[in-house]
Amino acid sequence: MMDLIHNLAFGVGVALTMQNLMLCLIGALVGTLIGVLPGLGPVATIAMLLPITYGLPPVGALIMLAGIYYGAMYGGSTTAILVNIPGESASVVTTLDGHQMALQGRAGPALAIAAIGSFFAGCVATVVIAAAAAPLTSVALLFGPAEYFSLMVLGLILAVVLAKGSVLKAVAMILVGLVLSMVGSDLETGAGRMNFNIPELADGINFVVIAMGVFGFSEVLRNLETTHSRDVVQAKVTGLMPTREDLKAAAPAIGRGILLGSILGILPGGGSIIAAFASYSLEKKLSKNPRRFGRGAIEGVAGPETANNAASQTSFIPLLTLGIPPNPVMALMVGAMTIHGIVPGPQVMTKQPELFWGMIASMWFGNLMLLVINLPLVGLWVRLLRVPYRLLYPLILIVCCIGVYSVNNSPADVYMTAAFAVVGYWLVKHDFEPAPMLLGFVLGPLMEENLRRAMLIARGDWSVFLTRPISGGLLILSAILLVIALLPMIRSKRDEVFVE
Amino acid sequence: MAEDVKQPAEARATGLIRNPQDFWGGLVLVVFALFSLWAGSDLPGSHGFAFGPGTAPRLFAWLLVGVSAFIVLNGFISEGPPLERWGIRAPFLFIASVVFFGATVRPLGLVIASFMTLMIAAAASKEIRWIEAVIWSALLTAASVALFIYGLSLPLQLWPR
Repeated sequence: MMDLIHNLAFGVGVALTMQNLMLCLIGALVGTLIGVLPGLGPVATIAMLLPITYGLPPVGALIMLAGIYYGAMYGGSTTAILVNIPGESASVVTTLDGHQMALQGRAGPALAIAAIGSFFAGCVATVVIAAAAAPLTSVALLFGPAEYFSLMVLGLILAVVLAKGSVLKAVAMILVGLVLSMVGSDLETGAGRMNFNIPELADGINFVVIAMGVFGFSEVLRNLETTHSRDVVQAKVTGLMPTREDLKAAAPAIGRGILLGSILGILPGGGSIIAAFASYSLEKKLSKNPRRFGRGAIEGVAGPETANNAASQTSFIPLLTLGIPPNPVMALMVGAMTIHGIVPGPQVMTKQPELFWGMIASMWFGNLMLLVINLPLVGLWVRLLRVPYRLLYPLILIVCCIGVYSVNNSPADVYMTAAFAVVGYWLVKHDFEPAPMLLGFVLGPLMEENLRRAMLIARGDWSVFLTRPISGGLLILSAILLVIALLPMIRSKRDEVFVE
Repeated sequence: MAEDVKQPAEARATGLIRNPQDFWGGLVLVVFALFSLWAGSDLPGSHGFAFGPGTAPRLFAWLLVGVSAFIVLNGFISEGPPLERWGIRAPFLFIASVVFFGATVRPLGLVIASFMTLMIAAAASKEIRWIEAVIWSALLTAASVALFIYGLSLPLQLWPR
């Protein structure tokens, strides 16, 4: 306990430097901005900004990128409530009751309760990360290559099971990512693999290229197909303060949201979207009067908004302690860390304590900033919604182009990004979810390395993955989850959750 | 991954394929996996119980062949929506603008390359207003020079050499 306080105090010291506070503020601002704007999510934005973080110190870079992620969760609620469009995919559920509240002239309390819930979630989640990190890190130290491999399998399977859409297609996407990650040089022998002797491919496909092409550009291609009409609720947002009854109704929902979000965030494959959905279903089930839901129930805003924020923060736990990204945004964080020469995993906490605790402490400051950014300035953000898409996408284009080019000063990277944009567009047209591909791509080299080592230690005996208890348990759990997800009965249930 | 475009009409014509998105999607992935198997066919595989450089790529690629084959199969047995139409103007111009940037940023320098790229991309939108596009492109060019050259001091060429 003393350790925890001591460590957090150390982190606060790191986070409170002028530069880090500024970067945290920039991250929170950018996050809110992209959260508000539909058609630009945190994955695309973090991919866009990765090259920019080259010049920054690693702590500052990660503080900023983290701020973008949880900032987007705040911003997304504003659009959901006022325009009935989820500004960010985790706020889909917020549209249900939030927009109804806005139509009833209660936009102010809806926005306020979303922000307050998010703030509490952020505060608690910060402590959860700090408290869970040390024990999990010591667990991680017990892990050998076989355990790591099995854990990654479990993570990927969970990502598939918890995602929406076809399980089979998501598995295929992971495998595509794994195959793509094999391009380049073999880590152990240095042999060039599948690179067709093209020098630009000798080091493999750049992570930024795939992320920007598949998430940044192909999203633009899709958005260009639909004409955008946004009818912002024109009624003035007056009276931000929720009434006493509002607070009474929302408080338990916020509490449950924090709990649910924190747990679902830690699970590999979990994350903010699933947390928001789960919280909404839970609140509806627990409510004495479920028919109020969908008609402006404040619990339907408070719960999911709290849960998605808690989950977005606790999803840092698997990344920071085990080095395994549980969702695409965390996969991008791995990219950011590797750019700065940091290998994510249990050693980060001991070798770079300033990075670890500084980032965690910054999350609390970030949440405080977000409360200030979001509530009084809500009018400003709403005005931004009137920016037409034809002005928005050239901005995305040029930041991505310069960003990709500057990674290696290589035109080939720019061409490859264009190719991956087409790939991403093709994937969406065939109902493939690109996110698992990115996870597979990031985990590919790690999986190969651990698989290789485990096999070498076991002298080629494949049964090692099942006979070692932790590894076997993880693999059996993965298998059960996969079978359950493939069962038709459960599948229809699962689709229901997403349709609701 | 291959970027081939399928004809929606063809998919509907054959009544056998009931879920064209799955059928064609799976098929392309099978081809992609086979292609990567071929691309990595020169790599030495396992040596005793030590993995060779080719072991893991082949493992992943074969798994992909299997899973994709199931998706193709699913195209016959499940019902699905028809293939979505591809836009022509927007994707073409947008991708062209990216390629243009890659080709010109070195010889022409950041300023000219950015501005031209932005103009090509602006034409991709159906809602384009030309005067607005010129002003916006110029503004964005100036902003990116300010951010990337002066703000982040990236070593980029500003003008044609």
